[in-house]
Amino acid sequence: MSQKQHVTLTVNGVKRSLEVEPRQLLVHALRDDLGLTGTHVGCDTSQCGACTVLLNGEAVKSCTTLTVQADGAEVTTVEGLGDMNDLHPVQEGFWEKHGLQCGFCTPGVMMTAVGLLKHNPNPTEEEIREGLEGVICRCTGYQNIVRAVQYAAQKTSQQGTAVEVAAAGSGSEE
Amino acid sequence: MASVFGSTLKRREDPRLITGNGQYSEDIQLPGMLYASVLRSPHAHARIVNINTDAAKALEGVVAVYTGKDLEGKIGTVPTAWLPPDSNIQTPPHEVLAVNKVRYVGDGVALVVAENRYVARDAVDLIQVTYAPLPAVAEQEQAIADGAPILHDGVENNVAFHWQAGNATDDVFENAEVIVKQRFRQQRLIPNPMEPRAATAQYNPATGEMTLWATSQNPHIHRFLLSGILGIPENKLRIVSVDVGGGFGAKIACYPDEAMVAYAARDLKRPVKWVEDRRENFLVTSHGRDMVLDVEFAGTKDGDFTAIRVKNIANMGAYLSTAGPGVPTILFGLIVPGAYKIPYAAVDVYGVFTNTTPTDAYRGAGRPEATYLLERMVDLFAAEIGKDPVEVRRRNLIQSHEFPYNTAMGLEYDSGNYEVALDKALAMVGYEELRQKQQELRSQGRHLGIGVTTYVEICGLGPSQVAGAVGFQGGLWESATVRVHPTGKVTVFTGASPHGQGEETTFAQIVSQRLGVPFEDIEVVHGDTNRIAMGWGTYGSRTTPVGGNAIAVAVDKVLEKAKKIAAHMLEVSEEDVRFEDGKYSVEGAPTRSVTIQEVTLQAYLAWNLPQGVEPALEGTAFYDPVNFVYPFGTHICVVEVDEETGDIDLVKYVAVDDCGRVINPMVAEGQVHGGIVQGIGQALWEGAVYDEQAQLLTGTFMDYAMPKARFFKEFETAFTETPAPQNPLGVKGIGETGTIASTPTVVNAVMDALRPFGVKDINMPLTPERVWNAIEKGRQEA
Amino acid sequence: MKITFQHTYNAPREQVWTLLQDEDTLVRTLPGCKRLHLVRDGLYETELGLDVGPIKGLFEGHVEMCEQEEPTRYRLKLSGRGKPGELTADSWVFLEDKDGKTVVTCDADAQVSGLLASVGQRVTGSVARMLLGRFFKNVEAELRRSAS
Repeated sequence: MSQKQHVTLTVNGVKRSLEVEPRQLLVHALRDDLGLTGTHVGCDTSQCGACTVLLNGEAVKSCTTLTVQADGAEVTTVEGLGDMNDLHPVQEGFWEKHGLQCGFCTPGVMMTAVGLLKHNPNPTEEEIREGLEGVICRCTGYQNIVRAVQYAAQKTSQQGTAVEVAAAGSGSEE
Repeated sequence: MASVFGSTLKRREDPRLITGNGQYSEDIQLPGMLYASVLRSPHAHARIVNINTDAAKALEGVVAVYTGKDLEGKIGTVPTAWLPPDSNIQTPPHEVLAVNKVRYVGDGVALVVAENRYVARDAVDLIQVTYAPLPAVAEQEQAIADGAPILHDGVENNVAFHWQAGNATDDVFENAEVIVKQRFRQQRLIPNPMEPRAATAQYNPATGEMTLWATSQNPHIHRFLLSGILGIPENKLRIVSVDVGGGFGAKIACYPDEAMVAYAARDLKRPVKWVEDRRENFLVTSHGRDMVLDVEFAGTKDGDFTAIRVKNIANMGAYLSTAGPGVPTILFGLIVPGAYKIPYAAVDVYGVFTNTTPTDAYRGAGRPEATYLLERMVDLFAAEIGKDPVEVRRRNLIQSHEFPYNTAMGLEYDSGNYEVALDKALAMVGYEELRQKQQELRSQGRHLGIGVTTYVEICGLGPSQVAGAVGFQGGLWESATVRVHPTGKVTVFTGASPHGQGEETTFAQIVSQRLGVPFEDIEVVHGDTNRIAMGWGTYGSRTTPVGGNAIAVAVDKVLEKAKKIAAHMLEVSEEDVRFEDGKYSVEGAPTRSVTIQEVTLQAYLAWNLPQGVEPALEGTAFYDPVNFVYPFGTHICVVEVDEETGDIDLVKYVAVDDCGRVINPMVAEGQVHGGIVQGIGQALWEGAVYDEQAQLLTGTFMDYAMPKARFFKEFETAFTETPAPQNPLGVKGIGETGTIASTPTVVNAVMDALRPFGVKDINMPLTPERVWNAIEKGRQEA
Repeated sequence: MKITFQHTYNAPREQVWTLLQDEDTLVRTLPGCKRLHLVRDGLYETELGLDVGPIKGLFEGHVEMCEQEEPTRYRLKLSGRGKPGELTADSWVFLEDKDGKTVVTCDADAQVSGLLASVGQRVTGSVARMLLGRFFKNVEAELRRSAS
């Protein structure tokens, strides 16, 4: 296959350098090369949203983004959203409201929710359901996902500040 | 101590899943790991004339290419594990890779193993196969017709099996006051768990041990079957399925792919990973439903049900999947009389081979199909005699004092309080007011419909003696080990294999309540054949009623032993010791007490144990239930149909379910939510479509309509609790009730809305186009 | 899948017929045609490089023209195999004289298998129409070329 290309990305706050084929999908760089297996692949056609990550703060589907397209960009995966000592309000909402069952779509759904709340911090139930158009969950029936997002929105507004995704590390070379 | 059992507690499995630390089969990364990809047949039916793998093998990075011929004699065929008795069942061989003939689009033809996943895919494209296409058939009634293409040599008319049960003779129908007949098509559904199947295999050539991380609902069954296919003894074969991204029945079956991956790892002495993409999942992972049902239903003018008779022609696909034959027979046929007193019932089932993906269990497996036809027939019957469908249901429901109730199909229903659930649902939805509102709206040209289902289902599979009698090639008991460690922490090992249902939480609740140790001190281990003695897995809503009760019995064994040690420590006789909230105390002198943790430490130290008592503290149970369990309930749906567009608006949905004692209301409610959405998916949107050449046309999420968040409003759910009388915990299953009840509920509602147009039935899914056409047809006929 | 396509040429029927039957024209007009090699009378081996929606890649197969009834109709068969699956088409091409112009109608029955069927079926019809359209437009260009 064609010549490998040098790509530099900042993933969850840490600068990473990779040599990748131009055709490599971002999700495979994250999973196979960087060992960040929290991001999943649920379909081949960009419908299910299990692979959703934040690229420069916007929710994108990493199964239809090439690694080379993310050159120079900041990528946030579920691993960078928050940990058990410091959960992101969206993670907290999913736990509190039983917004997940098998958990496979969950990282992507949560990243989608983060993107949704960034643009609309106080969504109505209808707006949340519309905002989840790009994700498919087969387990929950969505009702508790909606409650989880509502929880996160409320929590965020109570804190009085827009919650920025915590960027771990100082951006130094790996 | 507050009751842990019955409380909403946050799930134990979530911390790892919300932080990206789960361990799904595809997450396994091993040094030197290779990637596999399967070349699949583009033809539904064809002879393989020639396969040329030269170009694929020559590609840089390709390690091996296997064809069916390469594997012949080196690997077994994929077995069927459910053989309904007296059905003349035919089990033609299902080769791991097709040797001479492919029988459906997706049938495996070659396996490529390469250094990375991209090269493996490139190499698959380089394999040249010459096929001689044969006529194909996708539909079961066409497949049994004379002159249809025959899939398997020696299987006449493609009939895989013919099974009959029950008794409802012609004279019962001839003498009936009212007879309603209807044909229903249970369309084929594609389960689509969000995690596609995956397998990662690692072989140790020195010890002969094989480890396979696989997406399985039942790792021990996979070990059992794969051991035979691969010729690896069970004690050298380990199956690991810790986190599994949903199953819904599709991860019960043993597939060729997992076997091939393990074969290649052993052959190449390197770890091999295979991950299905979604398109493969659509083509290869088992499908569900797909039955043509002709129903005759008899009753009196007053509204008493007298008989039901069903002919079921079931599409089994190209091969008989692991549990496939059990679905349209046992799991379907036995529950046909539902929650009603129907003196006569009979089913006549044909399983048919077609050039399609094999069918197997899909959430509810047989019971949704049976419940659908029954609940639709009840509505059609009520309309025929001009009575309210709720009134007709109430008249025929089995009454609470009549349990245990023996049905016409030979089952003994354990318990029920059907009318309580019905009344609760009617109150929640405001039934009487709704009927008035419906009248008012109709006069304004608006079409509100109200659909009701009063269901009972059979789950908690099941007594092993019955499993054997109905041809299931395994037991259906469950194992549990409750190990109390010296510090009082507890590990629970369960043979059930939850994959999203939350039993790491609810099982810990069972143990915490019964053993009196803090919830936080309990870990639940599942999904690893090397850590768990034996298990039959998670399906048929059996995990809690069978696996959960196994744990309860194991805890009781721990307590029995601990009590002896406690009595010894307290220097009283056992009869004088009482146990409460994790503490043993002396009857009448409650301050003299020892905790379960103190007892445990003494059990391990073993410095001073009563005579005849062994050291350590753990209990193991192999629990075989005495009966199935029969959850029940009432679901009610309100829809409004737009007569101009055929569009259906889901106005309201109310579910009242009774699964016996509820361990964790939040988790139980979650199961109901998910089930309802899947059932509504079948009613309104989902359906696999094959063309005349048996090509699957709905092969992606672009073409197969999966329910999305915006399709729904909030559901209202509630439980009634009628403790199950035949198991220690008093629990029944809740994993499938939503799916079983919601499909007929929604369709009944739509048909109720369309009554002014004289529409009696529409084939699912009820797309706007179908609804609009039915309205138009009704108008023309009026 | 049945597809019908129609195109009107501002040229007499005999001229259009001759052009449609000509091997050199065929090479230039078949969309993406990389190679056309006569196997026997009317039967050609061909390679088509296609890139329309899901129908993308190199297709190897055969083109056959037979059952000619000059100048009114002939049968055109096409079979191809490529990465995304296999396609076969059996069609009748009719030439009708209309006031000195020629109306060419193609009635095709096409079948696709593999990825083309499961992923591309929704658009295969319109892609096929587009390819046929390209073919007829290319023939139009050939007509103008021969006229000039």
